[in-house]
Formats: sequence, C-alpha cells, structure tokens
Amino acid sequence: MTGRTPVRLTVNETDYDVTVEPRRLLADVLREDCNLTGTKLGCEHGVCGSCTVLVDGEGVRSCLMFAVQCAGRDIRTVEGLAADGRLHAFQQAISTEHGLQCGFCTAGFVMLVVGALEDDPSIAEDPERLDGLLSSNLCRCTGYEGIRRAVLRAYGRNGRHEKDGAEGH
Amino acid sequence: MSGFPPTRAPVQPPVSPPPTITHVPQGAQSWLLGRREDARLVTGAGRYVGDLKVAGCLDAAFVRSRVAHGRLLAVDTGAAAEIDGVVGVWSAADMGDELPVVPSSTPGSADEERQRPALAVDRVRYVGEPVAVIVGIDRYVAEDGADAVRVDIDPLPVLVDPGQAAASSTWLFDGVDNVADEMEFGEPIDHEVWQRAAVVVEGAYRQPRLAPTPMEPRAILAVPELDGRVTVWVSHQAPHRLQKDLATALQLDVERIRVRVPDSGGAFGSKSGTFPEYLSVVRLALRLGRPVRWIEDRAETLSGATHGRGQNQRVRIAADEDGRMLALALEVDADVGGYPIAGFVAAETGLAAAGPYLTPKVHARVRTVVTNTTPTAPYRGAGRPEQVYAVERTVDLLARRLGMDPAELRRRNFIPPEAFPYEAPTGRRYDSGQYALALDKALELVDYGYWREEQRRRRRSDTVRALGIGLCSFAERSGLEQAPMAHEWASLDVTPDGRVVARVGTCSTGQSHETVFPELVAHTLGIPAQCVSLIEGDTDEVVQGIGTFGSRSMQAGGSALHQAALELIEVAKRRAVRMGCAEPDVGYADGTVSAGERSWTLGDLATASPEPLRVEGVYDNAAAFPFGTYVAVVEVDPELGNVRVLRLVAIDDCGVAVDPEIVEDQTIGAIVQGIGQALYEEMPYDNQGTPQADGLLGYLLPTIGELPPLTLDTTVTPNPNTALGAKGAGEAGCIGTPPAIVNAVIDALGQSVAGTDIGGVQLPLTPETCWRAAAGQEVGAR
Repeated sequence: MTGRTPVRLTVNETDYDVTVEPRRLLADVLREDCNLTGTKLGCEHGVCGSCTVLVDGEGVRSCLMFAVQCAGRDIRTVEGLAADGRLHAFQQAISTEHGLQCGFCTAGFVMLVVGALEDDPSIAEDPERLDGLLSSNLCRCTGYEGIRRAVLRAYGRNGRHEKDGAEGH
Repeated sequence: MSGFPPTRAPVQPPVSPPPTITHVPQGAQSWLLGRREDARLVTGAGRYVGDLKVAGCLDAAFVRSRVAHGRLLAVDTGAAAEIDGVVGVWSAADMGDELPVVPSSTPGSADEERQRPALAVDRVRYVGEPVAVIVGIDRYVAEDGADAVRVDIDPLPVLVDPGQAAASSTWLFDGVDNVADEMEFGEPIDHEVWQRAAVVVEGAYRQPRLAPTPMEPRAILAVPELDGRVTVWVSHQAPHRLQKDLATALQLDVERIRVRVPDSGGAFGSKSGTFPEYLSVVRLALRLGRPVRWIEDRAETLSGATHGRGQNQRVRIAADEDGRMLALALEVDADVGGYPIAGFVAAETGLAAAGPYLTPKVHARVRTVVTNTTPTAPYRGAGRPEQVYAVERTVDLLARRLGMDPAELRRRNFIPPEAFPYEAPTGRRYDSGQYALALDKALELVDYGYWREEQRRRRRSDTVRALGIGLCSFAERSGLEQAPMAHEWASLDVTPDGRVVARVGTCSTGQSHETVFPELVAHTLGIPAQCVSLIEGDTDEVVQGIGTFGSRSMQAGGSALHQAALELIEVAKRRAVRMGCAEPDVGYADGTVSAGERSWTLGDLATASPEPLRVEGVYDNAAAFPFGTYVAVVEVDPELGNVRVLRLVAIDDCGVAVDPEIVEDQTIGAIVQGIGQALYEEMPYDNQGTPQADGLLGYLLPTIGELPPLTLDTTVTPNPNTALGAKGAGEAGCIGTPPAIVNAVIDALGQSVAGTDIGGVQLPLTPETCWRAAAGQEVGAR
C-alpha cells in the first residue's frame, strides 16, 4: 500500500512525471497530481461513468484503474479534446442539443462517446447499439434525450437534421 | 467567536480565483452553444468544489455508525491519530463544548427538542450518522484514519417503520415521543358524510425512501482567510441560509462567513440543508487555521446524507353516484428518520391534499415520526409527489368502483377556471388553472380512444401482453406561501460601458440561470443578451437571498429581476430628467432614453453621475400553482413482470415559460426521475435498520435504456400575481409521472390487483412486484 513510485503518465500528449502511492486511482492522480480536474468522480465504484477517460483509445473508468497501471500508455481526457481553438464536434453538439445541465457527468459522456464513435461511427446509425453504449453512464439531470440527439448531430448520417426528427419533438 | 482560536497562522494564500471561463478554446463562442454555462462545462474547465485548489488544504473523512440504534459507549481514536499524515481525530467528546449543533428550523419546532449534534454524543440513531471526523493530508490518509477508529455501541431496539415507531415504547430521544409533530389541515369530516355517500373508496400506499442522487455528492471546502474571515465553498441551494446557520452553530458573526457556490453537480432538493458534516468541517478549518475540505463519496451519501419521500398513506374518498367527490380524507405517517429536520415536507402533503378537485370537504392528518433511518428531507417535489400519488391512485380506485372512465371522473371534479382564486378546504389559495384544458390536450395527444380500443382488443385475446392506460392530473405549489420565503432579492448595476450586472438571491445547481436570467433582463431592457451578466451564489456579492428550491427560481428570482429591470428603466428616465432634459415625454427603448432630439444610452447615464446607476430591492412573489395531466400507456409481461412504457404524454402548465427550451430540459429530467421512482428506485432497510443499498448497483437509477417515447406539450395559464406571468417549473415531471405509470400498470393487470383496495401494488413496480400482482399473489406486504 505505501511507498511512492515514480510514474510517467502521458495525458493528452503531454508527459507528467508524478510520484504516487501504488494505491492511488488514475482519476485521483489526474485530478490532484496532473491538475486535470475535468474528469469527475461520481460514484467511485465504477457504475456512473462520470470518470470515463480513454486509455490507449478505449473508454475506461478511471476510478477503477490505478495510476501505476497506466505508465507508458496513451491517456486522453476531456481537456485534450478541443484542438486548434475549436471544440470537438461532440462537445459542440452536446451543448447545442442541451445534453447537459449541471455538467458533472458531461466529461464522462463526452469521452465515452468520442472513444466509441471515433472507433466505429456506425454506432450512431443503430439505435440499439447507441442506447447500449449510452446506458454505460448515468446522468441525473437531462433525461438523456439531449445526449442521444447530440450523438446523432455529431456522428449521424443526417447530421444537423436529426434534431427535428427526434422522438418527443 | 467564543473559543477555538486558530492554533496556527493560516498558511495558504487567498483562495483560488472564482470559477471563470478559463482555458476555453477560442472556437467556443457562446452564441454557438446551447447555454452560457456550457463553454466551461463541456471542456472540463468548470469548477466544482472538488476542483478548487488551495495550498495546504486538508481532507476530512467521517466515521459513521454501522448500528441503527444504540448507546454510544466509546470512540477510540488512538490508532487513527498515530497514522502518518493524520492531522487530527475528533469524536464528540474530543470536541467538548465546541461541538456544534445543527440549528433548529424554527423556535419550538420538533427539531429544537430533538437536537442533532455534528457528531453523535451518547446515542446513535441511524446507520450513517457521523460519529467521528478525521482530518489528514489527503483523502486516502483521512480514510485510513476513519478505518482505524474503533466505535463501541450498545444496541437498542430498532424502529424502521413510522407506524411501528409511533406506537413503540422505545423512544429515540429520552423523554420525547417518537411522534415529532402532528398536523391537521381542514376540518375533520363527519361520519355521516361517509355513511350517506353513494360510494366510498379507500387506499393505502407506501412511499418508499428515495436517494436523491445528484451526480456530485455533497462537497464543502472551508478556507480561513488572512483577515480572520472564513470562505466556505459549497455545493448548495441556499447559501444565505447556510451562512446564517453556520454563524449560529459556530457562534461567529455572520459577516465573518462568506459562502460561495461554484459550479454544482446537481441537487434536486438534497443540498438545501445545514448538514452536521458541514459544521464539523468549518469548525475544524477554523480550529486548525488551515483549509479543510470534505468530498463525500457515493457509498457514504446513500445513507449518510438525506432521503426523500418515505410516507405511509391512507386516503378515503366519498362520492355521489355520478362520481362527484364529496369528501377526501388523507392520513400520513411521515418517516422523518433519525432527526426530524424537515417536517415541512410532510406538511406540504397535507396542505395540498385537495389536489385539483372541487371536493367540498377535505381533511388531512399528518404525523411526522422519528425512526432509526437516514433523516428525510426535500427531494424534487418535496411533499407534492407524495400527495398527488396518494390522491390520484384513489381517484382511479373510485373510477373502477363506479365503472366510470377515469378521465371523465377527473373532468367532472376539477376546480373550474372561473372559480379562481380558489380557497381549498385545507386553507390554501390556488391562483389560476385550466385543468380540463390540460387533460383534454393530453388525451388528444396520446390518442386516448385508440389505446382504449387497443386495450379492449388485447383483453379479448390471450396471446398479447396486457395493456393499460393511466392518468394523473395534478396541481402543485411552486415558490412558497409564507414570508420571508415568498420574497427574493435582486439588483441591477449599469457599468460605465453600458453593461448590466444582475445579482439575485437564487442559486443554480444546474438550472441554467447563467443563460436564462441575463436573457430575461436583456429582453426586458431591450439590449443584447451578451451585455448582461449574472452573479449568484456568493454571500458577499449578493446581499441577501432565499435560494433555489420549490421550483422558485424563475417565478421568484426571475420575477424579481424582471421587476428590477422595469424599475431600472424608470430610474434611467429620472436621471435623464435630472440632467436637464426639459421634454415632457421621456421615452425608453432598446437601452436608450430619449426625449425630443436628445438621447442617452444606459452607459451614458451611468457615467453622467458619480452616483451608481442601479436598482436593488426585495420583491414579493406569492406561491403559484402550476398544473398538468400526464398519461402513460404501458404493457406488462405477466410471465416476467416487466413493465414497458409505450407512451408517456406530459401536458404541463407553468404559466409563461420565459425560456421554453430550458423548461423542457427541466421537465424531461424530472420525468426520468419520476420513471425511476415508479419502476426502480427504493432505499430499503432490513429490520435491523441496515440500508440495503450502498452503491449504484444496488440503488437503481434509470439509464437511457429505460427512456420511453416522450411527448411533451403545454398549456399557458399565466401567473396572475406577477407581471412576468411565470409559475415554477422543474418538479412537475416527477410529480405527474409516477401515478400515471402506476395507474396504467394497475389498469393493465385488471381488477384483481385492486383487490380489497387496501394493500394493492406498492412502489416501485419492480418485475417481482408486477409478477406477483399478475399471479394474484399478495403484493402489499414486504
């Protein structure tokens, strides 16, 4: 449990040399040691998904990984999405579609969607797979409808026209 | 401050800057975004309490009772204090005379004679009650300390049901009855009314305990400042009340405490209280002279914070042969848990008993009863979902007894539009309503005739899943009736460059105030929205405030800003007159005062005098009564007990919706919480008072997979008491949804489920509950 270990974490293509206890969770090290507080902790037992980050391109719950497990791996967090002064398309879409209210779960949903859809954009075309993906994470404010619309807006074949066709409107 | 001088000089620099839009990419212009808040929130640049960095900050962790009821014999903190990195460990005994006590809500109330200390003194009353607090150099170390504390408790008999607790000879508070309060609303109904009525129905219902579950649990950071003040960063709905309570509990001058609410990860009513943990954290920050924070974890909050709902209810309705309701009696045993901190929630259930109906005799009797469970407190709806559920299920029972269509029965009993303002027999004055209009719109949108026909078709066939249609009509209270809670403070300042800074005493925990309030002020003043900014949630910046709860933000805070903006126009005109404008007709449009050939922008007028161009006031906003009708269509699989919601139509009337998109956001969110309440959510206790869920695998929240097709629409009946016309929005969804779904399931399962009226299906409608009901088994008992 005790004893501190030096680790080099590569987060958003920046190296962070940190010395951490082996028991420290990736989420805590990102937030406390790397100062990347965009990743949120909602349940600390792997259910809510608010702490989702990408490790080697895969969405993982950073409350279920130790930081020392991530040495030498490619970590991406919400802070690394916007590039060249522009928001990522899904960051833009989740706002436009009112897919957030308090915003606490947002980084987790954003990383979940970006990780999965960048790998396989066809998920947006399959309602069942899309619901399956989005049901990995919890949101208590929005009722999810706006989050789903945001995926369709950012990744769907019909892009911006999706909103008018969404259920309930 | 009476004692506890700082033991060392504060070591930290002043607290980190307030949450501002920083590190936001240039491309994130707010006009491209859905809301102003979003630029920071979608990029990870938001600042929640846990994100604030303060040098030298310590973390607190709490040791909590694992025994529901017992004598606290000893708390051994020795081993914890030895742990490297633990700065201190305190039990109630270690705090001594400095142990804070949660201030009572009102003098003479139930919580004054049943005091709640910050740490348990000689008795524990629920699993999760704080027994000791550890402060360490980080949260890991503090939690190590918590694990090392040994607590010796001599168990006492455990009471988990309010009915049982009310009758028990075991008392939670020595010398004080378990019934904390008894309230009556309306006149008792004469026996003859029941005896002479053509029909009388009676239902008994259980409102399970719900965990409010904002995605961010409770969070607080107390920072002693160099000038002797303390800044309290906290995720909270009512910063001014918290400031006052902290001052009372810690015996500090109110001016020494600055409460600031940064970004907040949701509340739903559960962050309006003055929690014992908060008193300990602020006390210890002052004692140590160092910043101390406490970031609650999920397992902890599920039993250590507060629960919502938790009532045993009995409803009786008498009607004539045409279905006209003659009398309604409601009895409630409200389970307020280990400390009666929020009896006003159950009082609302009683006060609201009449619902939207013109019943001439209405009587409610409400008892609040302490039990060995987590204290109950407001959760979205706070007393209204409980009332609406009890009455709407019983109205359906009456329809079945009379063989009458439940929509027609409701229509026959509504308070008609011309009867407003309407004085309900419980002593409440409803402002305005068009209840039949909302019902008719709901029936039309769901295509009621089609689904009734489809139901008949399915009933003729054995091979298809049973289909049911359920209604819920409600009138709910938004804002509050009593002064000073019916007031809200607001101010507007014009800066020399013509921008307007709005301040208001409400406090967003995710309700988009930063977007909507500036839009409202800008619209009223006729200036671009980007010229208006908002400051909320800071007791230094906002002189006074009531906060955000009871759907009051737009109705009270928005209306206050609206009135302030109208006043600002008059103040600007008067200033133009003082500047020598001799014209008789001074006009105002689009941010400019004009008279004849001359004109002044707001900025011109602000710079023209050293006296600030500003307005400030406390504005009175009476309670309002939003209403609506929800209809659910469900099918039930009798073999598996699964409920599938095929349609959910929600017609809401919250008066004038200032920003319909934001109102819709609130409505959908509340509906999904209502779906959770109807089908999944419950915090059960075993008979030893142990909560049966300590995580989100045990306490089930709806995911997107549980989302039915939703159809939302509105009617608009303006609030007659404000110029803005807005009633409250934000809670109706979880008020209308559960009864609609439950009535639909009962409609699907048929007459058998109604049984003897008493002991029918109870929330939540899990597959097991529905399977048992479909199989004709006893479903009321647990």
